[in-house]
Amino acid sequence: MYYKLIKNDFQKSKAVTLTTVFFVAAAAMLVSLAMILVINLTGAIDSLMTKAKTPHFMQMHAGELDMERLNIFAEESEFVEEFQVLEFLNLEGSQIILAGSSLAHSLQDNGVATQSKKFDYLLDLDSKIKTAADGELHVPISYMRDGSARVGDRALIGGNEFIVAGFLRDSQMNSTLSSSKRFLVSENDFEDLRSSGSIEYLIEFRLYDLSALGAFEAAYNAEGLESNGPTITYPLFRMINSLSDGMMIAVILLVSILVVLIAFVCIRFTLLAKIEDDYREIGVMKAIGLRLADIKKIYLVKYTAIALIGAAIGYALSFPFKELLLVNIRLFMGESDSAALAPLFGALGVIIVVLAIIIYVNGVLKRFRKISAAEAIRFGMAQEKGITSKRMLISENRLFNPNIFLGVKDVLARKSLYATMLAVLIMSAFIMIVPQNLYNTISSKNFITYMGIGRCDLRIDIQQTDKIAEKTAEVTKKIEKDGDIARYALLTTKTYVVIMDDGATERLKIELGDHSQFPLEYTEGRAPVAEDEVALSAINARELKKVTGDPISLLINGAEKNFTISGVYSDVTNGGKTAKAAFADDTAETMWSIINIELLDDTIVKSKAQEYQDSFGFAKVSAIDEYVLQTFGSTISSVKMAAYAAAAIALFICALVTLLFMKMLVSKDRYSIAVMKAFGYTTPDIRMQFASRSVFVLLVGTVTGTLLANTLGQALAGQAIAYVGASAFSFTINPVLSYLLSPLLMLSFVMIATVAGTAGLGQIKISENIKE
Amino acid sequence: MKKILIAENIVKSFGVGSEKRNVLDSVSVEVNEGEFVAVMGPSGSGKTTLIFALSGMDNIDSGKVIFEDRDISTLSEKEMAALRRIKMGFVFQQPTMLKNLNILDNIVLPSMRDNRKKGSKISVNAKTLMGKVGIAELEKRDITQVSGGQLQRAGICRALINSPKIVFGDEPTGSLNSKASQEIIEIFSELNREGITIMFVTHDATVAAQTERILFMIDGKIVSEVHLPKFDGSELEVRIEKVRGEMRKLGI
Repeated sequence: MYYKLIKNDFQKSKAVTLTTVFFVAAAAMLVSLAMILVINLTGAIDSLMTKAKTPHFMQMHAGELDMERLNIFAEESEFVEEFQVLEFLNLEGSQIILAGSSLAHSLQDNGVATQSKKFDYLLDLDSKIKTAADGELHVPISYMRDGSARVGDRALIGGNEFIVAGFLRDSQMNSTLSSSKRFLVSENDFEDLRSSGSIEYLIEFRLYDLSALGAFEAAYNAEGLESNGPTITYPLFRMINSLSDGMMIAVILLVSILVVLIAFVCIRFTLLAKIEDDYREIGVMKAIGLRLADIKKIYLVKYTAIALIGAAIGYALSFPFKELLLVNIRLFMGESDSAALAPLFGALGVIIVVLAIIIYVNGVLKRFRKISAAEAIRFGMAQEKGITSKRMLISENRLFNPNIFLGVKDVLARKSLYATMLAVLIMSAFIMIVPQNLYNTISSKNFITYMGIGRCDLRIDIQQTDKIAEKTAEVTKKIEKDGDIARYALLTTKTYVVIMDDGATERLKIELGDHSQFPLEYTEGRAPVAEDEVALSAINARELKKVTGDPISLLINGAEKNFTISGVYSDVTNGGKTAKAAFADDTAETMWSIINIELLDDTIVKSKAQEYQDSFGFAKVSAIDEYVLQTFGSTISSVKMAAYAAAAIALFICALVTLLFMKMLVSKDRYSIAVMKAFGYTTPDIRMQFASRSVFVLLVGTVTGTLLANTLGQALAGQAIAYVGASAFSFTINPVLSYLLSPLLMLSFVMIATVAGTAGLGQIKISENIKE
Repeated sequence: MKKILIAENIVKSFGVGSEKRNVLDSVSVEVNEGEFVAVMGPSGSGKTTLIFALSGMDNIDSGKVIFEDRDISTLSEKEMAALRRIKMGFVFQQPTMLKNLNILDNIVLPSMRDNRKKGSKISVNAKTLMGKVGIAELEKRDITQVSGGQLQRAGICRALINSPKIVFGDEPTGSLNSKASQEIIEIFSELNREGITIMFVTHDATVAAQTERILFMIDGKIVSEVHLPKFDGSELEVRIEKVRGEMRKLGI
C-alpha cells in the first residue's frame, strides 16, 4: 500500500519531488566529499610525513657551525632520538635554469641538497626515497605543477648541466607557503656546485616523544645553540602542508551544511504545501479512525524514500568529484594510507544526512496533531486566525500602489509563514557576501599587513651572506640618492636574550628600525616608538605570556635593560616568532636586514626591482605584489573560485526556494486570489502583490544578511584567517560589489523566480474556488 | 425598458467524454435595467453556474453574454476585471472576505485599486453604506469578530462600493437564519428601489417572493418564469404561495 501511495504521490508532484531529491543528493554529495577529502588529506599528510620522516624540530642556520657542541647536545638530551645536520646549498635564482628559463624571478629560496641518510627524506612521485645519479636533477613538485619543468628537460645549475630525472615531494617545503625549495642532486654534483652558492645548515632533530617538543625547544634555545635562521617544528610543517587543501575542505563543509539546511527548507515547503493540499484527505483519514501514526507513516515513508534515493545518488556522485579534488592532494602528498577507509567515512556522513532528514520530517509532521478532522472536512483548509495589523489599513493608504501595499501587509500579517523564506534569503545573502568579502580582503593591497609584511612597493632582503651591515649600507646609499623613491625604512634583525621572570632565558629575534613607516596590523597596542618599547608577534606574545603594557627584560651588550611591550601584531613570517623595537644597537650581529621602499610612481616597480637586483646580486629584491602573488597566489585563487561558486549557489538557492515558496503560496492562497479576482483585480495585479511580498522579504533578508556577513561573517572569516597565523582582522569591502551588485543580482533572480512561481495565478478560476 | 443584460444560447459543460454534461444547456435570458430577478431550482440545476457565467466569472463554451451592449466573451481579462470592478457587484453565500483585512478594508478593497488618491472619499462612502445596512460601528473589527449576518451586510457594502449598475448574488441569504435573511432581502429591496438591477440565486421561496421575476431552472434549462409586481410590503403570503405553487408544479 505504501508503495502505491508513494508512486501516486510522486506522479502528482514530480517537479517538487525531484527538486527535493536533487537537494538531498547535493547535500549528501558534499558531505561525503568533505569526509573523503578530510580522511585523504590527513591520511596523505601523515603518510607523507611518516615516509619522509619529517624532522620534529628544525633550525636553519647560516654561518659557522659548531658540530661538536651540537653532537654533545643531541647525545645528552633525553628527548632526542635522531639528530643530523643537512647541508642546503642556497643558489641565486639566476643560477638555476630549467628548460631554458631561469628562476631569477622566483621568490623562493632555491637550492640543492643531497638525499638524507637518516630522516627528512626527499620522496619521488611514488613516495620512494630517491637518490640522484650523477648528472641527474630531481625538481620540487611545485615546478612540475606550474609547468617550469618536465622529465627529460635539460637544466643548468651553477653552469653545470643536468637532466631532469624526476620530481620530488618534500615534506618540509612542498607548499608554496614555505619559502625554500630543495632540488636533489648526487653527492658528487653537490660537491662540484658547493662554490656556486652559500651553504645553509638544516639542523634537524627527531624526538622520542613529539609532545616533548616544547621542552626540547626551550632546552635548545637555553643552550644558545646555532640559531641564525628560522626555526620550524613538526606541527608547523603539518599546518603548512594542510593549508591550501584544508581551506578548500572547510569551504565544502560550510557549503554542505548550508545545502542540508536548504534541503530542510525544501522539505518543509513541499511538505507543508502537501499538507495544505491534502487537508481534507487527512481529515477524512482521521475521521474514519486511521491512527495518527499511520498517517504520519505514509509521509515518513515517502520522505525516507526520497532521502535514501537522494543519498545514494549523492554518494555515487561524490566519487567522480572526489577524483577531481584529490588531484592536488595526490600530486603534492601522494596516496593516503587510509584512502581505502575514506569511502566508509563518506558513507557515514551520508547516513548522518539521511537520519537528519528523517528526524526533521518527523518534526514537521508533528503538526498533524493539530489538524481537526471536522475543520478539515468542512473547510478543506486550515482556518488561519485572521490577523490584521492595526496600523496598516488600506483605507488609510494614499502613498503606495494598493497591490504593493497588500503584498507588504500580507508579509507583516503572516510573519511566521514568511520566516522560512526570509531565513533562506538571509543565508543566501550571507553565503554570497562573506566569501566575496573574504576574497576582496585577502586580495587587497593591505592584507599583507595582517601577515607581518609592511605595505610598500619594493622589499629588499639581505640575508644568507656575510658582512650584512656593510652590504646594507651600500644599498641604502643608493636609495638615498634615488630620486624615484618616496621613502624607505631599514629594518635590521638581531638576536637578543630575554630574561624571563623566573630567571630563565629565551632567545628573541628583534627587528630594529622605524616601525611607524610601513606599519603592520596591530591586534592590540601600537608599534614601538620610544627607545624602551618592544612589540611582539602574536605567537611570541602567547609563548612569552606577555600582553601590551607588560615589562620585558633584554640582555643588550651584556647588560640587562628593561622594556615595555607596546603592542602585539599578527605575523606569519619567520614561523610567526618575531619582535620589533625602535632602539639602535651596533653591538649585536645582524642576522638579516630588510628594506621596505615606496616609490613615487608605482608603475615603475618592476623596472626598479630589476635595477636594484642587477646592482646588488647578494640581495633579494621583490616587488611586493609579485611576492604576495607567489606566496598567497594559490590561496587567493582558491578563495576567488570559492567566492564565485558560493555566489552562484546562493543565487540558485534564492531562485529555487522563491519558486517553491511562491508555488506553495499560490496553492495556499487560492481562495483569497479568487476573491480578489471576483472583485476586479487582474492576474497582473495579483502577481504584483506576490512580487512585492518577495521583494519585501528579499529587502529584509538582504539587509539582515549583509549585516550578519559583516559581523558574524567577519568573525568566522577571522577564525579562518587566524588559522593562517594572522590575528586582527576586518573585511575590506568592495561596496559596489557587496552592497549594489550582489543585492541586485539576488533581486533579479528572486523576481524571475516569482514570475515563474506565480505562473499558476492565471489558471486560478474564481468559480472553482468560491462556488459553494 | 432598456436591457442591461442579454444571454443568448449559452452552453457550459463540465467533465469529459461520456461523463460530459451540459450544466447550462442553451440558456437564453434577458434582464431589464432596474429589474429584481431571482433564480430558483434544485441542486445541480445550474443556477449558480448561470450567475457566474452572466457576471463573467466563469467562461462559457458557446453562446453570448451581452452586458450594456458589449459581448463580454470578447473582453480581455483586464477589461473583464474592470467591468466587474466598476459596473458589477457580487454577494456570495459565504462572506468571502480576506482574512488579514478588517471589515472596512475589505469593503473598500475593490475601489482602492483605481482610486487610492480619493481614499478618504471612498472611506466616507463605505461608512455611509455601512450605516445604511446597520453595521456602522463595525468598521475596525476583524472579520472573525462579527456575526454571519453582519459579515453578509459587509459583503453587500463591498458589492456596492463602486456604485455598480447590477448586483449579482449567489444564495446571499443561504447561510443565514430567517431573521437575518429577512433583513438582508430588505436591504436588497431598498437598493432595487434606488434603481440598481439585482439578480440572485436562492432556494428560499420567502426570499424569492420579494423579487419581481423568478426564473426556474432544471437540468441546465430555464423551464419557467413567474412574474410578480414590485414588492411593497403587502400580500407577502400570497406571493409566497404563488412561488411555492410553481415549485410544486415543477416538482422542485
